[in-house]
Amino acid sequence: MHELSIAQNVLDIVSEQCTRSGHTKIDSVNLRIGRASGIMPDALIFAFNAIKPDSIARDALLNIEEVPVTGLCNDCASSFIVQEEYILNCPVCKGSSFQITSGRELDIIDMEVS
Amino acid sequence: MKVKVVTRILEANERIALENRRLFDNAGLYVINLMSGPGAGKTSVLEKTLALKTGLRIGVIEGDIAGSDDAERIEKHGAPVIQINTGGACHLDANMIYEVLQDLPLQDLDLLFIENVGNLVCPAEFKVGEDIKVMVLSIAEGHDKPLKYPLMFQESSALLLNKIDLAPYLDVDMNKIKKDALSLNPDLKIFEVSCKTGEGLSAWTDWLKEKALRS
Repeated sequence: MHELSIAQNVLDIVSEQCTRSGHTKIDSVNLRIGRASGIMPDALIFAFNAIKPDSIARDALLNIEEVPVTGLCNDCASSFIVQEEYILNCPVCKGSSFQITSGRELDIIDMEVS
Repeated sequence: MKVKVVTRILEANERIALENRRLFDNAGLYVINLMSGPGAGKTSVLEKTLALKTGLRIGVIEGDIAGSDDAERIEKHGAPVIQINTGGACHLDANMIYEVLQDLPLQDLDLLFIENVGNLVCPAEFKVGEDIKVMVLSIAEGHDKPLKYPLMFQESSALLLNKIDLAPYLDVDMNKIKKDALSLNPDLKIFEVSCKTGEGLSAWTDWLKEKALRS
């Protein structure tokens, strides 16, 4: 739902870093997005493509690596990986007390510039 | 050539949220991010909270896509209020709050409510510098909401279950709402209230006073 403002943040961050490193064109940008981050990768790519034409990222490809949700159960001490976007219970013991250890990432990793 | 970036996309928001938090702490101000879907009764909860004369000096920031109806309602209770129109954005972010803070008498307040845009999805994703998040769910929205919108329930410290006066007219299972909400968040404090009849509101304001004065 807020992919457009996230896309604008990405464009601002990479444009500034590209200019600061003395380059004039961004060829690709690599992101890491957790499945529980509330962001839909397709919608983010759509939004990024919509706002990039007037920028130094006009030809840039946005690549997204999705990170699965992993957690650690406080009750049974299991580490787990799930494919769902949100977890309601520990998949092993069904307990509701757990910590999310990955899956909420919203990171820019690197970019190709020329 | 490859350039390392390694930046958290929401880092800018979190940096400003921390700055807001510093300003709140300096003013000795307790801050609540109030969230719900549209029409659950956030503004009514605030009106009732102000009318109950808690002894707390309360300020309000109203977030809406458009319009100033909510700010006008709050102003009638004599509380300092600022309206933010997001012009389409589905949530308030830290910068929107930072921009209006100079228009509020922070030093003269004990408690600040930030009434977020009515939406069960995005408000829980963006920190604004609050101490806690509180959500309102009206029972008319149905008992399926906790499991459909888990993040809101997981992030909140308290849930106001509003419009309980409507229970006789609705096919809604209040126990299921409470059970599912607590399974998502065992520490969630639940208040059953009716802004129409006033039922349950004093338990809420007592809890609020304890939170705000302890900060």
